[in-house]
Amino acid sequence: MYGMMQPAIAAQGIGKGFRTGFWGPVKQVLRQVDLTVAPGAIFGVLGPNGAGKTTLISILATLLRPDVGQARVLGLDVVREAATLKERINLAASGAHFLWCMTVEDNLRFYGRLYGLGGRALQDKIEKLLDLFGLAEYRAVTFERLSTGLKQRLSLAKALVNDPELLFLDEPTSGLDQEMAHQIRKEILRLNREMGVTILLTTHNLREAESLCTEVAFLKSGQLISEGAIPELQRRLGLGDHLNLIFQDSPAPLDYGRLPGVLHHSVQDSRVDLVLDRVEERLPAILEAVYRTEKKLAQVKIKPVDLEEIYREITH
Amino acid sequence: MKLRTNWYKIWAFSVRNTLVNRRNVFAMLELLVWPLIGVLSVGLLTRFLSLEGETVSFILIGAVTMNTVQIAQLDLSYALLYSVWSKSLKHEFIAPVRLSHILMGAGLVGLVRGLLVFVVMGGLSVYLFDMDLGRPGLEGLSFFLLGLFLNAAIIGALVLALVLWFGQRAEAAAWAFSYLMLLLCGLYYPVSVLPQEFQVLAQLIPLTYFLDYFRHFYGFPLLSRHPLLYGFSQSVVYLIISYGLVSLTLKHAYQRGTLLRLSD
Repeated sequence: MYGMMQPAIAAQGIGKGFRTGFWGPVKQVLRQVDLTVAPGAIFGVLGPNGAGKTTLISILATLLRPDVGQARVLGLDVVREAATLKERINLAASGAHFLWCMTVEDNLRFYGRLYGLGGRALQDKIEKLLDLFGLAEYRAVTFERLSTGLKQRLSLAKALVNDPELLFLDEPTSGLDQEMAHQIRKEILRLNREMGVTILLTTHNLREAESLCTEVAFLKSGQLISEGAIPELQRRLGLGDHLNLIFQDSPAPLDYGRLPGVLHHSVQDSRVDLVLDRVEERLPAILEAVYRTEKKLAQVKIKPVDLEEIYREITH
Repeated sequence: MKLRTNWYKIWAFSVRNTLVNRRNVFAMLELLVWPLIGVLSVGLLTRFLSLEGETVSFILIGAVTMNTVQIAQLDLSYALLYSVWSKSLKHEFIAPVRLSHILMGAGLVGLVRGLLVFVVMGGLSVYLFDMDLGRPGLEGLSFFLLGLFLNAAIIGALVLALVLWFGQRAEAAAWAFSYLMLLLCGLYYPVSVLPQEFQVLAQLIPLTYFLDYFRHFYGFPLLSRHPLLYGFSQSVVYLIISYGLVSLTLKHAYQRGTLLRLSD
């Protein structure tokens, strides 16, 4: 039985290849992927196009069977216990696609029924989802007439029709304008925080992962090359936050390399660039040391490490 | 509870097919215009050839059968094609639905539409060409219709298997399959006029026996001694085989990533 102590997703040695045509060679898309996602997390799978993100999410969402390896989602085997698992998960993907001639309400009703809902319970659920995603005024509009943003909102609404414990989001904001992408991200955070839904999302948008995910994993050419919380990855890779100290004349005469938390440093003219493990913790001590030298600072600039830097470091 | 949730899943596919049919003008044409053209063209041909009453019935039974089977099987064949065309296949298969839900839901709509076509065409045959459709009685009509729908289900299930294996390219098969079957089963002619080797093939098609059974009420000799026994036995065997084939291709689709490819 799945409990809070068990991971929401536990995958070991997942491998998948696709044959080109009937007799063509097998192209390996995933190689020995291990993945653990804690319950209640928003976990991001990052990587460039063709890295195997969609293949991985599809295996975990029971839409594809792995060639090798095992995966348990919510404590259930994704192959042998797929039928039971399907009741408790759902998926929204980029470029939402539903039957063109069915209205927003028809679509929610159709998918609700597929999860065994009917009667009053289904109607209540539809009304709730229409309200939640601001779709009430479009309830009678057919799918083909909806804007891209509304289609994506419908896709998210559909993904909640069965109150999933775990939601797979495959490039949820891909192709949306900034405003709409922002709205969708807010929805994702709300689902996680208010409704406690565990979320696994794939994206190649690093800023998106940074703003949403508690943990990330990087995929490259079908291999998982790093996984963890962003600060943990930063430490593991020796990457740090940037602190630039610009003095009014010459720099303070300090042994910068020996200051607490300094990973790298460079001095050029009146400017000192420091790379720190955790800038918010180290800053007071560094400023105190500078203050004691009686050198005057003209400017202090802080730039926390970002996911892009981690990504560059990992993939190169 | 389980029965009710299963019913909702089946009903979901029935309602979806109904909505697509209702909102598609061409689907309405299938129900009314093509059957009308079918009866008129075949009926008028029999007049031009100065055919007598029983022979006219023989040929009109063929025309009614063809359209009924075609329409009934289309809903089943399209059950997955609608999802392929709208690229929503993965959303349906991530839900806890079984093949039986899809087949029964879409089949139900096929049955109703097939029945409508049968009534429209039968009515026109009676009204315009004096065909005595009531001669086989309720029992004869019921067995014949059941036979037609079983054949439609077999064709529909085979097309579903092809769609899961080949994707959208299998679309043409939805029509081709039934035409091939109809060609061999003696739609407008007795099977005895076919070349010998084709007659053997015709005996492997259940529809041959149902046509044989229905036409004997109009004075045509039975070609087999127990047409209903052969027809229903073959139908059950083929249904089991075709269901097995669809299940197998679905399993392969999960393995080969077809569900994802058809959703892109």
